[in-house]
Amino acid sequence: MASATNNQPPRQVLFVDDEPDFLLLVKENFGVLSAGHWCLHGASTADAALELLKQQKLDLVVVDVNMPLLDGIQFLNLLAKRFPDLKKVTLTAFASEEKRSACLAAGAELFIEKPHSDEGFKSVYAMLDDLMNWVPQQGFQGMLRRVGLQDVIQMECLGRNSSVLEIYNEHVLGRIYIEDGNIIHAAGGELTGERALQRLLALPGGSFELVPFEAPPENSISGPWEFLLMEAARVRDEIAAQKIPGEPEVDPKTLAAPTTVSVRVMETLICSGTGKPLYDAECTNVESRVTLLKTVAQHAAQLAQILPLGNFDRLEMQLADGRAIAQTRPDRLVFVSVTNLPASP
Amino acid sequence: MKDPAQQWLVDRASPPGMLGCGLRRPDGKFVCRSVEEICPPAKLEKLLEQFATLRAVVFAGRFSPRWSTWAFEQGQIRFVPRSDGWLLALVVRTESDALPSLDPLSQEFLALDLGR
Repeated sequence: MASATNNQPPRQVLFVDDEPDFLLLVKENFGVLSAGHWCLHGASTADAALELLKQQKLDLVVVDVNMPLLDGIQFLNLLAKRFPDLKKVTLTAFASEEKRSACLAAGAELFIEKPHSDEGFKSVYAMLDDLMNWVPQQGFQGMLRRVGLQDVIQMECLGRNSSVLEIYNEHVLGRIYIEDGNIIHAAGGELTGERALQRLLALPGGSFELVPFEAPPENSISGPWEFLLMEAARVRDEIAAQKIPGEPEVDPKTLAAPTTVSVRVMETLICSGTGKPLYDAECTNVESRVTLLKTVAQHAAQLAQILPLGNFDRLEMQLADGRAIAQTRPDRLVFVSVTNLPASP
Repeated sequence: MKDPAQQWLVDRASPPGMLGCGLRRPDGKFVCRSVEEICPPAKLEKLLEQFATLRAVVFAGRFSPRWSTWAFEQGQIRFVPRSDGWLLALVVRTESDALPSLDPLSQEFLALDLGR
């Protein structure tokens, strides 16, 4: 049994896997890597794991997806009901998008491929250790701030991320493509390139979603993102200055003038696939929204079992004064609520 | 003569792209109409029952939506609950002509006189 080398008691980590050889590897590798900070337990069946859970308070359970009798996903569901606060991770030798969705919907915080090398064990150790150290309440405090489209783009570029930002309101759908931290393409209405980027960033209201990167039909933008955003800000100010009171604000084709924008984004929350808040704007209760997103994912999985309609994308709620969207994808959870504004005369 | 709920499902809730639709009565009984094989009455009943049970859990203390739409890759499920206990489920194919009719049908259902 390992012992703590600092003031903190060792983390209690249980691995559930029907392969004794793998459990042995886990003990050897994570024992060395944790240097006494983890106390490792192994169980080769769900029964044995449940027995241990009755006797010992655990910090983390790592479950093999492919187990005989009660498979990993069923076991996760069971754990979610009996030990809702317990952190759970799934390991698999054969990862697939379907399995990943099912595991995350069943309450797993992470879905990881089984490591086969020293580097692999190091990487998995870092992820698991990080997960155990993560306390949601502390994680999102300090992230609360007003967020705009520019902020999200800036965040993606600074992080050298690749993603597609979908921007929409009731009249417009636009996309901004970011690859490795560079803005490479924008399209909205009939516009593409910098002009589309500028007009999209000048939209007076609407919603946006970050979706996984896919290659754009063309690369229409180049240059440093900082300059592109500065230029877009200048254009936005110009448009605002030229706006005639009472005139509609955005044309769906040119993104320039007409049609009344009648919604305002009230709340935005973007989380990782595991529910870790990444971005938050005026979210009144982040924890409650994360719970909602996870609950939605779970219930969507149950609806999908009744009627197979493919992967779940989002839940749209029609509210008395607006709409709320809870999007749950394997790699991203997004909550956006908008409120209706009185139409211009 | 068909009862008003059944008549409404037949008359109104069948635009192209609709896979099926169903109602859960306040007494827990069902009226379901399957349009395509993929969506038989038994599955519609299960969907309605599932949503009737889970509704309180999903929205508990957070929202009370007039209706909710669960969007999947190949279809969408719209649930419309009424304060008198009736619940409507509409299942439509994604990108079909039935999609734009979801809101008007939902509004219509909420205003429908279904008796007791």
